[in-house]
Amino acid sequence: MIRVEGLGKSVGGARILRGVSFRVEPRTVLGIMGASGSGKTTLLRCLNGLERVTEGAVECEDVRLEAGLAEKEYQRRVKHLRRRVGMVFQHLYLFPHLSVLANITEAPVQVLKKPRAEAEQLAHELLEAVGLKQAAPRYPESLSGGEQQRVAIVRALAMRPEVLLFDEPTSALDPRRSFELVAVLRRFVGQGQTMVIVSHSIKFLEGVADFLLYMEGGEAVEFGAKERVLREPRDPRTRDFLRQTD
Amino acid sequence: MGKIVLRQLKRAAPLIFFLLSTPFAVHAQEVLRWGADPSGGAPYVFADPAHPDRYVGYEKEMVEALAAAMNRRAEFVPTDWETIVTSLQRGEFDVIVNGLEPTEDRARFILFSKPYYIFKLQLTVRKNEARIRSLEDCHSRTVGTLSNTAASRLMAKEGIPFKGYADPVGAYKDLELGRIDAVLMDVPMEMYYARDNPRLRPAGDPVHRGAYVVGLRKGDEALKAEVDAAIDRVMRDGTLERILRKWSLWDDAQAELQAAARTDVAAGEKKPDEVAYEITSSSFNWREALLRLTRAALVTVLLSFGAMWIAVTLGLALAIGQSRGPAWLQLLCTAYIEFFRGTPVLVQLLFLYFGLPRLGLAMPGWLTALVGLGLNYAAYESQVYRAALEAIPRGQLEAAYSLGMSPLLAFRRIILPQAFRIAIPPMTNDFVSLFKDTSVAFAISVWELATAYRELANASGEFLLLGLLVSAFYLLMSLPLAHLARRLEKRMQHGRAIRAVESEVAA
Ligand SMILES: Nc1ncnc2c1ncn2[C@@H]1O[C@H](COP(=O)(O)OP(=O)(O)OP(=O)(O)O)[C@@H](O)[C@H]1O
Ligand SMILES: [Mg+2]
Repeated sequence: MIRVEGLGKSVGGARILRGVSFRVEPRTVLGIMGASGSGKTTLLRCLNGLERVTEGAVECEDVRLEAGLAEKEYQRRVKHLRRRVGMVFQHLYLFPHLSVLANITEAPVQVLKKPRAEAEQLAHELLEAVGLKQAAPRYPESLSGGEQQRVAIVRALAMRPEVLLFDEPTSALDPRRSFELVAVLRRFVGQGQTMVIVSHSIKFLEGVADFLLYMEGGEAVEFGAKERVLREPRDPRTRDFLRQTD
Repeated sequence: MGKIVLRQLKRAAPLIFFLLSTPFAVHAQEVLRWGADPSGGAPYVFADPAHPDRYVGYEKEMVEALAAAMNRRAEFVPTDWETIVTSLQRGEFDVIVNGLEPTEDRARFILFSKPYYIFKLQLTVRKNEARIRSLEDCHSRTVGTLSNTAASRLMAKEGIPFKGYADPVGAYKDLELGRIDAVLMDVPMEMYYARDNPRLRPAGDPVHRGAYVVGLRKGDEALKAEVDAAIDRVMRDGTLERILRKWSLWDDAQAELQAAARTDVAAGEKKPDEVAYEITSSSFNWREALLRLTRAALVTVLLSFGAMWIAVTLGLALAIGQSRGPAWLQLLCTAYIEFFRGTPVLVQLLFLYFGLPRLGLAMPGWLTALVGLGLNYAAYESQVYRAALEAIPRGQLEAAYSLGMSPLLAFRRIILPQAFRIAIPPMTNDFVSLFKDTSVAFAISVWELATAYRELANASGEFLLLGLLVSAFYLLMSLPLAHLARRLEKRMQHGRAIRAVESEVAA
């Protein structure tokens, strides 16, 4: 469960986000769409505490980050938040000095203090689930873009987060790979995973999302169930955007 | 520090003198160019403390008297004691007048005049020293002296462990600081540098009885005859006695030495002008030289590894402090780095060795060199690490944070290992150059490989063979390092491919 209430973000004098509000119910997928520079990435980073909100609040389960928190308290809450919210970056940022297996087990072992054997067991299961059983001992650089993507997803999933955030997961994938990714993600949603996915590909979001959010100029223009937003958008700006991308 | 400036000046001085003197020298009387080491050169020849641009000393006055007797103009050429014989052979000056002892080794390369002074050696200890009464008590102590002198040769022969210094100030200073147990040196130097020091005292009576002579190039027989005649003359007419008395160097031994020249005239008959004196010989032996070189090589390795350890750990702390610390720490780290990169390592070593004891911290020479080089290289290493840390994309850190890692954990497990891989090739290269830079330790009398070469080669004249040997030692140690550096560099380039293949095989 994610709640975003009147979220605003200013950097210097520029207001990158303003008055963004929405909710994501457990076990559902929210797709975020919008033109370049509309603030999608910034919104995701606020959800993960990588950016500090300057107005309003984001709340994930019982962890609430609001504007104007003292640094110490903020860090304490972010620490809790990040155990519940995982993130897959657009550029993945796999750890190049670690094998695929170590990439996945590093955080469970070091942060959650899981026994190594248990962490590796889980890593192997997750790798198998995304069809990368053989990749465990390899190094990220030797993997294809699509394989790296799946490793990044597994790395985030291995922390068993309640929410998983994705920034442009399909930007490096061909249409077939994107289609496969939809299947992989849906399977994890079926197992109870909540997700927020930023993408430029309406087709991809149509396949994977339950709800859609359209952003423009740092504002949440339209939010609703996927079918409703795609078929009968209420806001003319959403309509324009959907027409242009088709 | 003053000494470095002096050394530089000394290098340039012959050229400057040459440039200045040529146009005027054409019609002037013939010159007698004489070489001596004026750094710590009292009372022989040294920069006048009252007028540092002027040289004074009893030998300077004597040479001027000799030159006058030869109807020449004396011209002083400052040089290095360690290389004085080769400088003479290269023709940088015509004669050596620098308290030179006529040893058999030197006789192979140069000519000697008749003796002009009889010297003795005096042992000096700290005021409160109770264990050392004479040289006999020094067999398990460390005695300081000048390298390649009668005193060092005497102790080498007696099997007394000694430490060679480049000038007497350093030796007596180390004695005061307790870095060595005693100093054995020619009486003139002992008189000037130690006799009035309230913290030191002479131990026992002077020992040995040697002679100072003028050194000349082989083949300069005519000049030798001229010099000998001049020595006779300054002895006969009392000039030398007057000079020696002025410098408080006149004693019975001198009277005995000069008697021959003086009675000569009085009686008008030929008397043997031989006066008994002893000659030390260094009996250079290759086995021993090899042993000493090996020991020096070990010192070099120890210095390199010790200094590198300091450089790596302190360098990393500096890099982190400079790029991530609070403002005051950043400023402090930057100041440290700029200071150590902006001043010569030689100056830093001299400061640590001679300056720190004033603040009550006297480290032995090898430790000073190790710490000094470590502190210096830490400044350079810090910049290697900083560049490496900055080369890691910020996303790596954010990815680690998003997995719940604390800043410290992310730095230790994610950033540092990646930065280290980037830093390895430049680090290895730095290590190779640090290894070669250990040779500056000679400035504080540490017996590492370069010092060993200088001293052994000067003592034996075997510059070529010993040079090849020492180079071989250096290469034996630095080539594996350079090789390692290249291999690591290659691995960094092809690391991805190699690891891909490795993991393919493993899978
Ligand atoms: N740290 C910052 N300082 C100033 N401006 C920023 C900063 N971060 C983001 N912006 C600006 O905020 C706006 C939104 O950026 P954001 O990266 O969130 O857009 P986006 O919707 O993800 O775009 P894209 O689809 O191209 O990835 C952009 O105009 C960007 O230039
Ligand atoms: Mg973006």
